[in-house]
This record gives sequence, C-alpha cells and structure tokens, in this order.
Amino acid sequence: MRVSLTTRGGLAAPIVRRLPPRVLDTDQLPDTDARELRRLVAAATADPGGAHPAPAARDAVTYTITIDDNSRSTTLTSADTSMSRAFGDLLTWVERHTS
Amino acid sequence: MTSSRRLNCITPPFILTRLLDSDNADIRQAALATLLTTAQLRGERRVRGLIAGALSMQGDGRRSIYNCKHSTFLPSAKLARSEDDGPVKDAAVNRAYEGFGTTRSFYREVFQRDSIDGHGMRLQGYVHRGTRYNNAFWDGQEMVFGDGDGEVFTDFTGSLDVIAHELGHGITEHTAGLEYHNQSGALNESLSDVAGSMVKQWFLKQTAEQADWLIGNDVFTPSIDADALRSMKAPGTAFDNKLFGKDPQPAHMDNFVKLPDTEDGDNGGVHVNSGIPNKAFYLVATGIGGNSWEAPGHIWYESLRASTQTTDFQEFADTTFTKAAELYGAGSSQQQAVKEAWAQVGISITTTPTLLGRV
Repeated sequence: MRVSLTTRGGLAAPIVRRLPPRVLDTDQLPDTDARELRRLVAAATADPGGAHPAPAARDAVTYTITIDDNSRSTTLTSADTSMSRAFGDLLTWVERHTS
Repeated sequence: MTSSRRLNCITPPFILTRLLDSDNADIRQAALATLLTTAQLRGERRVRGLIAGALSMQGDGRRSIYNCKHSTFLPSAKLARSEDDGPVKDAAVNRAYEGFGTTRSFYREVFQRDSIDGHGMRLQGYVHRGTRYNNAFWDGQEMVFGDGDGEVFTDFTGSLDVIAHELGHGITEHTAGLEYHNQSGALNESLSDVAGSMVKQWFLKQTAEQADWLIGNDVFTPSIDADALRSMKAPGTAFDNKLFGKDPQPAHMDNFVKLPDTEDGDNGGVHVNSGIPNKAFYLVATGIGGNSWEAPGHIWYESLRASTQTTDFQEFADTTFTKAAELYGAGSSQQQAVKEAWAQVGISITTTPTLLGRV
C-alpha cells in the first residue's frame, strides 16, 4: 500500500503547492509500522471529516491523502478546522514518518 | 409578572463568568460570590456598580495561549499562559503571547480599536498544532500556529508580522467581511499583509523608508534561500530557488494571475494577486513619507471599514481616494499620493474630483 500526502493553501500557499508530496509505502516499512498505517488509513477512510475548511477560516490548509492499494485507489480530502480526529491521526503519522 | 422577574435578572451567568477573569480583585470576588449565591445577590446595588464599571473598562482583549502538544484536535489543548501570567518555559507560548499583546496595543493606540471585534474580544492562540505543520491560520475565532517542518519552515510564533496578519483576518471579518476568493479575497489577504507590516514597523519604530516591507522573513530555516513569503515593496521577488521556484506575485494589473476559484487554485489566487494592493500600500506609505501607520494606515483602515464583502481592487482604490479627502482634504498631498500609487499598479481612480470637493 502506498500513501501520499499533498497540501494546498495556507499562509504560504504559493510555496506549499510546489513542495513534493510526502510518500510512504508499506513494503518499505517495518511490519508493526505497516500494520499501524493500515489501521490509521482504515479509520480515516471511515470518517475523514469535512472536505473543506470552515467558511470563516483564513489561511487554512487542505490535505489530500491518496491511498493506492493493489489496483484500488482511494482519495481522502480534508482541511484544517474540519478534519476528523482519525484524519488528523493519519496526517500526524504520515508527517512523522516522512522527511 | 414575567417581565418584572426578567428585569431583576441583571447579571446573566455569561457576564459573571467573564468577570471571574477581571484584573480587579473586587470584581472577581463579587462575580464569584454572585455565581455562588445568585438568588440572594441578584440586583444588589454594590454588585451592579461593579459590573457596570467592568463593562466600561478599557483594555480588554485578554490573551490565552493553549498548547496543542502536537494534536490537530484543538479542544484537547491545555491552557499554557493567560493574561497577567508571567513567562512560562515554552518559548513558543511566550512569543505568541507577546505577539498578541503587541498587535492588541497597536490597534488600541493607533486606531483606538479594542481588540479584533472592537469590543474587547478575547485573543486565543494555539501553539504546537499538529506535527511539522507548515502554517499559521485564523479559524474564525482564534489563531493557530504550527512548529514548521524544521526543513523549510520554522516555528511560526517567531514572526510578529505573521501574527498581526492572522489577527488582521479577524478584524477584516468583523468589518468589511471581504469574501475569501478572487479579487475580494486577494484584497482580504493584502489587508492582512498591510496589518502585519504596520504592526512590525510600529514595534520596530521604523519609517516607511527604513522598513524592509517583507512578510514572514522569519518563517524559513537558515538552509532555505528565500527572503520572505512576500515582499510588499517588490512583489515577485521574495524568493527564487530550486525547491519552490520563483515568487509568483504580480505588482501590476497587467500581470494579474487568473487562477481557478478552488482550494487547488488558492481560491482564485488570493495569496498571489494580493501583491497588487500590497505594492499600492507600499507606494502610498513611501509617497507620503514618515510612518506607515499614520496617514497611510488611517486611510487604509477607514477604507477597510467602509468596504463590503464584494469590494474589488478598483472599488477599494476609489474608497482610499475618498477617505484620503475626508481625512486630509481634497487635493491634499496625501490624496495625491494615493492616486499616484494606484496608477503605478495599473488602477486609475474613477471617483470624480468634483464630487470629492463636496466630501
């Protein structure tokens, strides 16, 4: 399973959009990490939260997490101020395990 | 009977709760006592006097800084520093606290505005939000700071202009309420950059000539070859490197960038086309001379207050021309500087001079 994260918007929107996506592949992770990533992906897929920032939010970031698993591709989109805890947990885990 | 009972209830619980945070020990004590023994104290003259005094008090906009401890879920954040608390060990908490204080003082002293809403709205900040989070934002009620990824961006609490930029969004929301897309959105962004630059210059006691006019020059790590997020003096020149390319901001209407009104398109380029009104403000400030927060700042602030949700660049430019006449006189050097500044970014004032003579 391959997980990639792209971000859009925010105070530095023109810069952030040009930064490369953060990518993880379970094939290259230790088994415990791969299992944890699958668990976080399942939880976030079940409840990603709102797709867009709150209307009153300014400089908020929108996140797109794409999950490619065998031939199936799933895209989750959520944003600052609207993401679920499960989406936030997945986002945090991906940020911590990529550089 | 019903209305008479209501009239006696002069101390709603939300006011009493708010008074528990008062600077005045007598008020705090009275509020606490009232909450504890509401029935007996309600309507008593001594309490009523104290509450009336508290409501008319200047200097509200009390600060509270919360530590998210890297969570993205704000309700789980812990209070780290409140108004009147001394510095704490966490430097990010202290920087946010001080930045809020400087911005609050700026609006109070320069524009006689009491906090974001003009009525002493509390200033709440959330630091250490998320993991490696490359941003700071205004969520409609409070400001949220990331620590940065440590590779490209550093801690966003270190930038006073970024703090004033975000609080500026709150002020815009409570005045013009400019819609956050296309030209009104780029104007919204520009007004926050104007707020950021003025607060920074006021804090540093810099004239328009002395200032660097950079927004977010503190947000990058030392390894990144970039001056800042944006340059108001020279939009399009804040960065040019291999990692994220060249600053896309235009400085003239001829180079206005049409982008889709989607999140992917930065809501029609709100952080891109803001370069045009940013440059206009820089030109007005240097054209008039002296401090940006004096005549230029007052013209812009009054124009913000006179704008609406859909105000575009042309309408805002015309408003600044009218406000310059109201504040400093038709045909004044300030009004001339406004007209020339907008002309240099490709916007001709359309308000007729004869009408202005009667303002």
